Amino acid sequence: MPRAKLTTKKLAQRIDLNYFKRPHPLRRWRTILSIAVPAVALLFVARAALRGNERVYSSGKMSASHAVLTARCAECHVKEAGVFTSRATDSACRACHDGPIHHANQTFTPNCSSCHIEHRGHKRLAATADADCTQCHANLRTTGMPSQFNLQIDSFGGSHPEFAALRVGSVDPGTIKLNHAVHLKANLRGPNGPVQLDCDDCHRPPTSTAPWRFGSGQAAGTTGATGARDSGSVGNSIVTPRKFYPPSQVLARAYMAPSTYANTCIGCHPLQFDKRFQESVPHDTPQIVHAFLVQKFQQYIPGHPEELRVAGSMRILPQQPLPPAVRVFTPQQWVAERVAESEELLWRKTCAQCHLLNISAGAALPVVAKSNITPRWFAHAIFNHEDHRFVKCLECHTRAAKSQETSDILLPGIQVCLECHHSSRESAESRCFECHTYHDWSKEKPVKGNLTLSQSLRRN
Amino acid sequence: MASLLILGAAVAVYVPYAAVSPSGPSGGTAIGLTFGIIGSAFMLFAGLLAGRKKVAIWRLGRAQTWMRGHLWLGLLSLPMILFHAGFRGGGALTTALLALIVIVVASGIFGAALQHFVPDVMTAELPFETVFEQIDHVRGQLIAEADELMARASAPVNLVATAPSGDLAATADTVLAAEDAIAPLRDFYSREMRPYLLEPRKKEHSLADAAKADGIFKELRRLLPDEAQDMARNLEEIFEEARQLRRQETLHHLLHDWLMLHVPLSFALLLLGAVHAVMALRY
Repeated sequence: MPRAKLTTKKLAQRIDLNYFKRPHPLRRWRTILSIAVPAVALLFVARAALRGNERVYSSGKMSASHAVLTARCAECHVKEAGVFTSRATDSACRACHDGPIHHANQTFTPNCSSCHIEHRGHKRLAATADADCTQCHANLRTTGMPSQFNLQIDSFGGSHPEFAALRVGSVDPGTIKLNHAVHLKANLRGPNGPVQLDCDDCHRPPTSTAPWRFGSGQAAGTTGATGARDSGSVGNSIVTPRKFYPPSQVLARAYMAPSTYANTCIGCHPLQFDKRFQESVPHDTPQIVHAFLVQKFQQYIPGHPEELRVAGSMRILPQQPLPPAVRVFTPQQWVAERVAESEELLWRKTCAQCHLLNISAGAALPVVAKSNITPRWFAHAIFNHEDHRFVKCLECHTRAAKSQETSDILLPGIQVCLECHHSSRESAESRCFECHTYHDWSKEKPVKGNLTLSQSLRRN
Repeated sequence: MASLLILGAAVAVYVPYAAVSPSGPSGGTAIGLTFGIIGSAFMLFAGLLAGRKKVAIWRLGRAQTWMRGHLWLGLLSLPMILFHAGFRGGGALTTALLALIVIVVASGIFGAALQHFVPDVMTAELPFETVFEQIDHVRGQLIAEADELMARASAPVNLVATAPSGDLAATADTVLAAEDAIAPLRDFYSREMRPYLLEPRKKEHSLADAAKADGIFKELRRLLPDEAQDMARNLEEIFEEARQLRRQETLHHLLHDWLMLHVPLSFALLLLGAVHAVMALRY
């Protein structure tokens, strides 16, 4: 017998009308989970709060330099009694390190955290964005005196002006006459035959210990025979020994030391003064040179008294008495004559080949103009030669090979820097911080540390 | 369309903001905070759907409006929060929040897609659909009906009544013959169908596959005499109902199980989001 036809009514009659009073397991579990999961989340937060663990609220990884403070939120987020918020304030930053003002004439001073963005895991917190600088420098306004700087700079590759040292009309103030084009020619006449000079035969950082090819052979940083200290050894006495740092971290290699005669010139340009002597006069002041000459000739003549008799001049001048056939000098006269001859050679030719000498009519000795070698051309930016050591010198100092005048400024222009330092992914850093610093570190105040090791390293 | 407009406007604001931000977009900037507030507001509205369902008699707007708002604003909350966070996780809490919102929105999209297609499938495949919570109850009724059917089929009393009166041998022969005739049916019922009715969730049942079951019943009908065809047909109808109940269970779970993830996590998201809002403003 077939089953009765299943109508909707028959289907409905199968339902227990009280079913809704007993929640289905699915619905029950959904309710349970809807309470349990948020409760677990709340427990997680409560546990962190009870343990004083504020790291759970961190907005990101600390920078490399502050990573040691990851567990110590309160070092920067200082809590004040009665105040709910505990943002990182400038005073918290200054508890560990000073941040001197940029310029006395600036219209406002930004907070530390507006430029140094923490909790981004930055390797270098000082690597600030250009916008932090251009918020002022894109349209520079100052309090008090108007600024001497370009008023609209938006980026290095944008409206950054040519370097100040290279502005139209600028000249090298140095007084040492040097023709780079000649010195960089091939087959120069050297002390032992033809030579080809390299840039580092004259230009090196002060910490260089490599021997000078055309130097005096003395170690860098030692004093000369007369006790005068070579200007090229500036900073050597306080430079950390190289063995403790890789070259790029030794800041004393950032700039080239001024070239010195003893290290770079003496090999080809000896200061000989008389055929009687092999040695040269000391490369020193005219007073020292004069004293040296006097002493040299005074020491010489007792052993060569025959030179006091000098053959008279063969010149017969009309209406003048005949000159004596032989002239006999006293030692003092002879020394004075020889010194005068030597000084004539030196002041007029040898020294004057490189120096500017002011020989006044009544003065016994000339005045030598100060060399005025500029050790550092960037007054408001930093540069490190060591970081650029992989590039050939002449690739950046493009004008050196053709420079004939001392007044030529051989500093590379901004276009040279832009070859590598431009705003694209595959380029060297071109943001402002790479060359400029905001803080005027000459006004830095010392900070006394107050953190103990256990404080900084203890985990919450 | 409105949602697309909102999204387009948000993108139009975010892209230049992200491009000019000195150190990248951040939740603490004015624009970042605005995105966070908007995203949170969207999430809150989406969360209120649960309350609206609980107190339906209040009639606070149409259910369809609420559901549409829940879906679209809930979906929009994800890009808003991503713009707020600058697509960065940050610390433990913020990373957890980002993970939660992604899971909640993804599960919501999954559920919405299922709810778009599955009901039509159920309508087409399940003419005997019943209330989900009553499936076990109805299945029990089917088992009882099937048992009764088989008991009637096995009772010799009925057959004895049909046997020629006074002829016990003929009656016995009739009974034996009847028993032999429906032995395949009885055997099938006890070995296959009843276990299936009792535990339809076991995948290894030969009747679990509809096409196979169809074949088995066809073969069964072939083996049975004409007198037992009705019985077989009834059993098959009962089986078909049970199969549809099983199918309904499966589809119902498909339609609703994702809510076990979506609802609890969304409550956790709202709770932790509130904690984050307070603590982020603090620091």
